[in-house]
Amino acid sequence: MRPFLAMAAILALMPFGLPPYAMTLLTEALILGLTAMSLDLMVGYTRLISFGHAASYGLGAYTSGWLLLHTDFPVLFVVPLAALFAGVVAIGVAWVCTLATGVSFSMLTLAFAQLLYAVAFKWTSVTGGSDGLAGIPRRAGPFGMTILSTKSGFYYFVLACLLGAFLFCRSLVNSPFGAVLRGIRENEAKTLSLGYNIRAYKIAVVALSYGLGGLAGALYAPFAGFANTELLFWLFSGQVLIMVIVGGSGTLVGPVLGAAFFMLAEHWLSSYTEAWALFFGLIFIGFVLFAPEGIFGVFSTRLIRRARPVG
Amino acid sequence: MALLELDGLTRRYGGIVAVDQVSMRVEAGEVRAVIGPNGAGKTTLFHLISGVVKPSEGQVRFADAPLAGLTAHQVCQRGVSRTFQLTALFPEMTARENARLAAQARQKRSWQPYGGGNIFAVAQRLGDAALEQIGLGHVANRPAGLLSHGDQRLLEVAMALAQQPRLLLLDEPTQGLSVEETAQAVETLARLLVDTKMTVLLVEHDMEVVFRLAHKITVLHRGAVIADGAPEAVRGDPEVQRAYLGGLE
Amino acid sequence: MDFAAFLLTQCVNALSQAALLFFLGVGLTLIFGIMRIVNFAHGSLYMLGAFVGYTLVRLTGNFWIALLIAPVLVGAFGGVFEYAILRRLYRRDGSAFLMVTFGLALMLGDGIRLLWGSEALQVPLPDVFSGVVFLLDEPFPSYRLFLAAAGVIVAVTIWQFLERTRLGLLIRATSQNAEMVHALGVDVRLVRSAVFGIGCALAAVGGVLAAPLVTASLGMAATVIIDAFVIVIIGGMGSFLGSLIGALLVAFVQVFGNYYFPDLALAFMYLIMLLVLVVRPGGLLGKEA
Repeated sequence: MRPFLAMAAILALMPFGLPPYAMTLLTEALILGLTAMSLDLMVGYTRLISFGHAASYGLGAYTSGWLLLHTDFPVLFVVPLAALFAGVVAIGVAWVCTLATGVSFSMLTLAFAQLLYAVAFKWTSVTGGSDGLAGIPRRAGPFGMTILSTKSGFYYFVLACLLGAFLFCRSLVNSPFGAVLRGIRENEAKTLSLGYNIRAYKIAVVALSYGLGGLAGALYAPFAGFANTELLFWLFSGQVLIMVIVGGSGTLVGPVLGAAFFMLAEHWLSSYTEAWALFFGLIFIGFVLFAPEGIFGVFSTRLIRRARPVG
Repeated sequence: MALLELDGLTRRYGGIVAVDQVSMRVEAGEVRAVIGPNGAGKTTLFHLISGVVKPSEGQVRFADAPLAGLTAHQVCQRGVSRTFQLTALFPEMTARENARLAAQARQKRSWQPYGGGNIFAVAQRLGDAALEQIGLGHVANRPAGLLSHGDQRLLEVAMALAQQPRLLLLDEPTQGLSVEETAQAVETLARLLVDTKMTVLLVEHDMEVVFRLAHKITVLHRGAVIADGAPEAVRGDPEVQRAYLGGLE
Repeated sequence: MDFAAFLLTQCVNALSQAALLFFLGVGLTLIFGIMRIVNFAHGSLYMLGAFVGYTLVRLTGNFWIALLIAPVLVGAFGGVFEYAILRRLYRRDGSAFLMVTFGLALMLGDGIRLLWGSEALQVPLPDVFSGVVFLLDEPFPSYRLFLAAAGVIVAVTIWQFLERTRLGLLIRATSQNAEMVHALGVDVRLVRSAVFGIGCALAAVGGVLAAPLVTASLGMAATVIIDAFVIVIIGGMGSFLGSLIGALLVAFVQVFGNYYFPDLALAFMYLIMLLVLVVRPGGLLGKEA
């Protein structure tokens, strides 16, 4: 608990030290961190490789964006609502995708994301087509509470979501439910033969994962002020997957670090070269080959030599 | 009423009949060995009973209720635990964690998504007890993937036991074990089965193991039952001898 | 236009589409069958073929030279990638391949953007097939007829290659029992590199042939990778005949679906993929259950 409190305290103090430009980057990093962490539930803890996480993000973003543009609801209500919507849709998506296993599962997740991408393109009246939704307001309220409209106010909102999601996920993976996920990860057939209804577990974890990804997307729309089809593109799905692997899958914290690393790299590399995505792909391949446990994994097993976590 | 009743159980794969009109009654507390040459359909029989494969004909009745239409995990929940011919474990978890996960499956609220201290404690107790019974207490904290082959086979049995099943299906538990390991495993199992009065269906190739543990033997050949009875009777049965030695393949 | 002509038009469209999809799918299924690798970069290699083809056509002014050389270049690139990187992963589990080839797809996507820009590039039809042919009084672009014919020719060629040549035999044997082949003294690693290279080359052939029809664009890879996987999943991972059947099925659904329900064509494809996965998880002719 103590490392968590320390991190939370450090992050809470950031608005007092950092210039506004850095605050914007940090807020975006936290949103991406939440996205990556949500994917880790599927990839790291259950070995369900998804290439379609952009679907959850985009769904959350478009839903919250649309609600903020077309209704009077304040951001505080819209964000959880959009996340809930993404989670519910995800149950259906999960039900279908878990009909298959292995590669077929991954392809189905990609297919759904592409389907949503195509729908977003065509359904211009609702989604704005290729232009997307713009001018999304960070509506204040309820009761005239304007704090979320400010930069630091919104930052704290994002931070609260990330920390809350982290506590939720950590509780989940350390619970009996989490132990079963781990069994599925290591030997799916054996877990089934022990009497666990693994399909149900998979559907649940995918729905939760997409729900949290939807939360991140729902935060992004009012943060950036827009939502467009890029958020649903497979390239973004891939980037989130890279964050998880490079950061350290199966650790919850690793992917958040991975997201931060990714943003830093994007920011830094892109000022040197136009080909930063190319280099990042190379870095990704390098990690898969030589350090599959990711940054956090390297840190905790090679440098700290902690005992293997139980459960 | 027998604990397990198989009635004309048949499984076809295209033109091949893997299991042919197998009928069998296994009483509670009985240890029944299922033997036969390779390809006789023994593992398929296990798959049919445990719900991994659906029968083409016939039915399986367990504790006087049909198992038709149940999936593998549902059959397990009814009280049927099994081990596999090819060792299936959770290699990165310790032996204790393996056993705990097995025991957890039969707890109420095994799916609880938060906390779980209580559930884990109960499951760990059952798991540890099973490990002790099998004699793996000394390697309890070693990752399963690093155990010797013999210990891995025993761990699988321990996991099945941790589930406190009413019927235990053991698929070649001594396969791949050395002579000493086999002798040790057999003694452990013999003691265990007497102590727990467990009902067991045992597939084995090693006849010494069969004669040491089994109350009755069923012989399969090309999917069909060709002999069924006390070990001595089966030993002397000419048709059994022909099936094994006669070169009919 | 009367019904017969309509049907013929759509069939020609479907057959030419099937040919392109077949080039895509057969490489993917071969790679999976022999190496148990799911090549996520397959769509990107197809795209690479299209862009390299574009450049070669501009350099030489000759479509046929491009068609000949681009696949060789892409195939060589694939072989090198397999040698340098994929070889290290054979002991790891399948998800490592999936992710590394995904990394390759990302790199190719960005690399292509850097070398050729973000605009879609127009590749001119080869002169000899730039006209129309009249069947049943309806004009058909002769290029499409060429594609359909090319598909048949290549399918037969590959079939004969697998059945009659030594390398083909080695490939088939390796897909069934790599260890046995190794025990017989064959360097299985070379077979694998060859197969990966051939698979990439085939994808590139598809890309070059598709370029005059759909233009070479950065979005190609994403749509096409799903098409490729749908084909292979329907036909069965590792089955040559399956990739043929899958390509035909998907092409016909796409073409006819596009005509009757233009907005739902995408959904139809996924629907078929889902149906097949539900009914037969191994695909129609697959090896994996």
